[in-house]
Order: sequence, then structure tokens, then C-alpha cells
Amino acid sequence: MENDLIVEGQVRRFSLGQVLRKRQRPPYWMIVPAVFLLLVIVVVPFFISIYTSFTQLDQYTIGNWMKAPFVGFRNYIYAFTQGSALGASALQSLWVSVSFSVLTTVFITPIGIIAALLVNTSFRGRAFVRALFLIPYVLPVFVNAITWRMLFMNGWGLVDLILSALHLGSINTFWLIGPNSFWAMVIADVWSSWPFIYLMVLAGLQGISGDLYESAYMDGATVVRSFFSITLPMLRPILGLALLLSTLSHFNNFTLPFIMFGTPPSPQADVLPLNVYVTSFQTFNFGLGAAMSLITLILMMIPAFFYIRMLRLGNETA
Amino acid sequence: MKHKSPWFVQKASLVGAAVVSMAALIPMSAYAKAVSQPVALNVFVGYNASNPKAQANLYNNVLIPEFERAHPNVKVTWSYYSSASQENTTLQTAVATHQGPDIFELGTTFVPTAYATKSFHVLSAKDWVTVGGMKRFFNPQLRLSGPNPSHYIGVPEYMLPFAMVYNTKLFRQAGIKTPPATWAEFVSDAQKMTDPSRGQWGTVIDPADSFDPWKIVWAYSKQLGSDFISPNLKKVTLNAPQVVKAMNFWFDWLIKYKIVSSNDLTYKSTDAMQQFENGHIGMWVFQGPTMIPSLNNSAVKGEYAFAPLPTIPMGMKSRPKGGQPTQTIVSGQDLAIPTYVTGAKYEAALQWINFVTQPNQQREFFDAYGYLPINPAAYTHDAVLNTPMIRAFVAAEMHATPTPFTGAWGNLETIFAGVTNKVADELATNTYHAGDIASLLQAANVQVQQSLQQ
Repeated sequence: MENDLIVEGQVRRFSLGQVLRKRQRPPYWMIVPAVFLLLVIVVVPFFISIYTSFTQLDQYTIGNWMKAPFVGFRNYIYAFTQGSALGASALQSLWVSVSFSVLTTVFITPIGIIAALLVNTSFRGRAFVRALFLIPYVLPVFVNAITWRMLFMNGWGLVDLILSALHLGSINTFWLIGPNSFWAMVIADVWSSWPFIYLMVLAGLQGISGDLYESAYMDGATVVRSFFSITLPMLRPILGLALLLSTLSHFNNFTLPFIMFGTPPSPQADVLPLNVYVTSFQTFNFGLGAAMSLITLILMMIPAFFYIRMLRLGNETA
Repeated sequence: MKHKSPWFVQKASLVGAAVVSMAALIPMSAYAKAVSQPVALNVFVGYNASNPKAQANLYNNVLIPEFERAHPNVKVTWSYYSSASQENTTLQTAVATHQGPDIFELGTTFVPTAYATKSFHVLSAKDWVTVGGMKRFFNPQLRLSGPNPSHYIGVPEYMLPFAMVYNTKLFRQAGIKTPPATWAEFVSDAQKMTDPSRGQWGTVIDPADSFDPWKIVWAYSKQLGSDFISPNLKKVTLNAPQVVKAMNFWFDWLIKYKIVSSNDLTYKSTDAMQQFENGHIGMWVFQGPTMIPSLNNSAVKGEYAFAPLPTIPMGMKSRPKGGQPTQTIVSGQDLAIPTYVTGAKYEAALQWINFVTQPNQQREFFDAYGYLPINPAAYTHDAVLNTPMIRAFVAAEMHATPTPFTGAWGNLETIFAGVTNKVADELATNTYHAGDIASLLQAANVQVQQSLQQ
């Protein structure tokens, strides 16, 4: 079948198939601005980082950085062996960051789920409680960090005072240096980030039909059984996404340790973003900093890839 | 024959016309700009945390309007950095991209790093005439403007000589008549004022701070006759016995003499400040006049004074051979112009520097936030600038010792902070052993040596 179309004063003949195909073709040109921005903001700097990681870019060469001396893999070797400012090496920092992000996510997940379940049923003052739960999340990170720094102060911080009053610890328990600094960072981050899981789970709970619970109840299922057989499986896709985003977000947390401990921090709290920052911007070793970043990127891509595959997030969240 | 569709021809013509018009407009607009637009000057300064309102008022309502009245073809804007980190990263971005602020306000110890980037104008003799001449400034301050007088990149803007601030009430209560002149007296006086049961300590340390610790250890090392870097700037000497001794002495305030609280191990400068302001601390070394406004709003208002640092090392009757009576580093802020600033803008930048370093403007800086004038003429016939306290700072400035002029100084500061942090870490966790300071300084020495330009 053919149709007559008047195009620019001329009669042209198109088949219906041609017209439909033309109409159905995705307008790829509309993504050109996004692709351009991605190129400028992500791709180009990424390739510059790769280039930088093979150079001795420092305060003496930054003015003409394209001509910084080429040093091969030296920065990569230093990244594994030498710490920034006598701090942790990239490998040590990577371990600190991985432990920090995984532990924080492990702690905030049950808190977030329980909080979401609590406010998913209607009760008087629910709106107020929901708003209250969001306070730690909406507080700026630096406010959170300064507050926790004060709380963890040795001798006169509230944490030491309470521990000492309850005979659970010495009033001279150092939280901002030494091994405890890692736990201070975890506690502060758990406090501020659990509402993220809460929000995601709450959104997921809204999507579960009440009919499912009703049927289960009629079949004699207990609340606990309903939770494990209905709620958790239905939340799996969104919870998986939340855990992935949470882990990555904690891994990249820079502000909290930067403000809580200053630079350079204790090696136990020397997370990778902070280590890269000190190396690059405080000791002017941009080449080494770039090498450390790239090593991290490669190492982080491996679990992220398997994690996403395992959860089949693409299919299920679609 | 297949002919081109009319819509394509039309669109191609339109696009062509647009491109031609744009091409024509660009040089025209550039010309128009050059003819009619005033010179836009952006000044990048440090944030005044103790009195931001006064700073904003000073720039917006006093300095800029006054300057623009005298230079109608220049429009000045100002922006600020709120930390040394931001100062660092903004400078790095500017020198790498060749764009950014037109005038940088740089901390004096940061000038050598800026010089190492080769991205700032070396002022010519003519430029110095434009900014008022070298004689306008306190001479010690110029020693960190560049490696030598013919290679100065920084023009002093104001000075911040250091001294020791002490609590006069605690001095009276302990029966101490005068501030200590030797470090032995310092320790003895601090012990008299220390009373842990009342949370009162003779002095305070802040090993978690990124910048305070090196100043004290450096000054003491100078008094012992050493430095952090050799005079020819080729060799790092953080492992020198004098430096090791100096750092040991600083930590001995906690370990041996018990004149500081163990709580101090996590302190940054702001924490130490808070303790002093609460009246818990007898003496706090290496502090400058900028803390005066804050002290006047604290519990120690009217009960504090400044004194020079002791200059005779602990256990000695006089300084050893080569020891210098160092009481303060050359400290303050310099103004420097990046090389991407050229032509009329460069001239305008020089005019601005000339403007803000004149006595009236220097006095405005002092009134707003306590920065001491860099121009000796500002002190003439000015009662406010001739109090005993200010005279003590000016006297300290006359004996200020410059830190080594090397591009690696920034690295050294950070790595040194790593050492103090690590020692504090060990002390807090009871894992410190005698000799750890020496081995950590040795490791730091190797790291800083790598960043020295050979």
C-alpha cells in the first residue's frame, strides 16, 4: 500500500512501512548533548588521568603539565609500596576503604529495613516520625563530621564520658587516633547514612500489594513468615540496588574522615579517597595520585561487575 | 538526474549564513569589548573565619569602591578560600589551566611552592616602582617573596609574626612574675600552672594539626643550630640530631614534664584555641595577633598577653654554636600575579597591590581583622598600632627567620604532620618507644628528599 505525501510542494510516494519505520526509529540524536557532556566530564579526564599516572607531574611541572617527564610504571610501584605523608600505602588504604564501606553497609541495612517496616503501617504521628528519621541524612556531612569529632574527643567528649560513667571503658579512650579511629568513622557514618536504606526500602514496601499479605494471613502465615517469604523477596531488587549504591557511596566517602581526622589521618582511618587527595593535592604528587586512583578503579570494577551480574539488577529492576 | 531536495538547500544556506554571521560577530564583539569594557580584576584572598562580616564589609564597601573611584576603568571582584587546602587546589587548577583569579593572596610559606610552578610573574624593577618600591615593606618579610631580590614573585600584603600567648590570671595565681626567657623556665612555669584535677595545664600541643607542629619544632631546631633543609637547598635534614632533639622536646611536654594533657594528642589548632579561650591553658606558643579578636570574645578577655618565645634550649645556659635566636618564622600573606594575567589587567593588578599596601588600607586590614600592617609608615603617629602588645609583635618581626625557599616546603609540611600524627598515635595507644621519633623523621627525610628539585 502506498500513500501520497506532500513534501515541500511536491507529491512524494512512501510505503506505510517506510513511514512507520521512520516514526519508530529512536531519536538517537537527542542523546548527543548527554554524550558530549559525558565525553567532556568523564571520558576526557579519565584519559588524562591515565596519561598523568605515567608522568612525574608535580609542582615543578604542573605549569606545563603536557611536558611532565614520562616515568613509566614507577608511580604504580610507589602506589603499592609507599604511603602518602608516612601514612598508609594505596593497598592499605584500599583495605581500609573496603572494610569501611562493607561494614557500614552491613550495619545500616537492618537498621534501615526495621525503620522502614516501623513506619510502613499507619499510626498517629507517622508523618512526624518519618521526617525525624530523615534528619541524619539531610544534615550536611561536614556538620555530622564536626559533631562526631566533638563527641569522640578524648577525655571530655560525650562518648568517653558515657563509657566511663557506665564503666564500659576508660575516659581516656582515644577515638580520633589509633585503631579506634576506624570504628569512630564507621559509627559516625552509620548514624548519618542508614536513612538511605530506609528510604529505598520504604519505597519498595509501597509497591508490595496488600493482597499478598492478606492471602498469606488467610493461609496461616505468621508475621515473621510473611516477612521472609513475601517482603524480603519482593524487596530483593531494590534492596540489591540500595546495597550496591550504599557500598560504592561509602567507599567514596571523603568529607567525613577529612573533617573528623584532618590530614594526614591515622593509617587506620586513611581511606583511599583521602590518601589520593593528600598524595595529589597536598604533596603535589599528581602522577602517583592518578596511579592510585586507577588501581582503585580497576580493583573496584571486579566486584561491582560480579555483584551486578549476580543480582541481575538489569532485568529485575526493569 | 537526481536533484537535491529544496529543503536541504534551504537548511544548508541557513546554516552557512549563521556560521558566517557568527564568524563576523566574534571579532566585532571582541573589538567592542576591548574598546568599551573595563578591566575586570578578580582578587583571591584568604577567608577571615574570625570575622567574615568585617572582611566582606572591608572589600565590598571600603576597598573596592575606593579603588574603583581612583581607577574608573577597573572593576574589581573578590573571592576567597576558606582553608589552606582550597588555596592549594585553586592555585593548582589555575596554573594547570592558565586561567583563574588575577591576584592570589598566598601564605608566605606557600610562596616557594608557587614560585616552583613557574606560573607567577617575577616582578621587574619597573613593577616594583608601581607597587610602591621594596622600601615600603618590612625587610624580613621580603625574604620569602622569592629566592633573591631579582626573582621576587610575591609582594607582602600583611604580616603575622608569632609569639607566645599566656594567661595572666594563671600566671598571677602561680606567682610567676615575667614570661619565661629560656625553655627551662618555660617548663618550670608550666609545671607551676599545671593542675590536672582542675583540668588546668601549663601549655598545650596540637599534633593532629597540619601546620602548627612544624613551626615549633623548626624554631627550636634553629635555636639548636639546624634547619629542616640544608642552606644550599639540596639536602633534607629532618634526620639531623637537632631536629630529632627538638621534636623529642615537644613531645616531652607530655611524656616527661607532664605539662600538657594527654587529651591534646587528638587536637588540631582549633581545639587548642578552645582550651586556651576557656582559661584552661597557661601558655600557648607560636600564636599570632589574628587571634586577638577571638580572645576578646572569650573567657580570657583582658587576662592574656603576648611574649616572645624563649630562645635558650632546654638544659643550656646559652644557645649552642650556630644556634639562632629564632622566635618566629617570616609569616603573613603575599600577593602574587599569575603569568596568564597580562597587558592592561596586569597593570591593574599592580595598581591594586600598590593600593592595598598603602598605610590607610593597611590600617583598614588591621581594624577589620587584626592583620598587622606590612608598611612601617602605617605605624607612625598611630596610637592604636603602638601599644606594647603590637610593639612586641613588630619587634618579633624584625628578628623573624625565613623558612628555606624551596618548592618542596609544602610537601615537607604535610609529611612532617604525618610524623607528629604518627607519634601521637603511638602515644595514645601506648605503643610508643624511645627512638621512634628518630626513625619516623628518618623516613620523612627520605620522602621529602624525593620531592626536592635537584
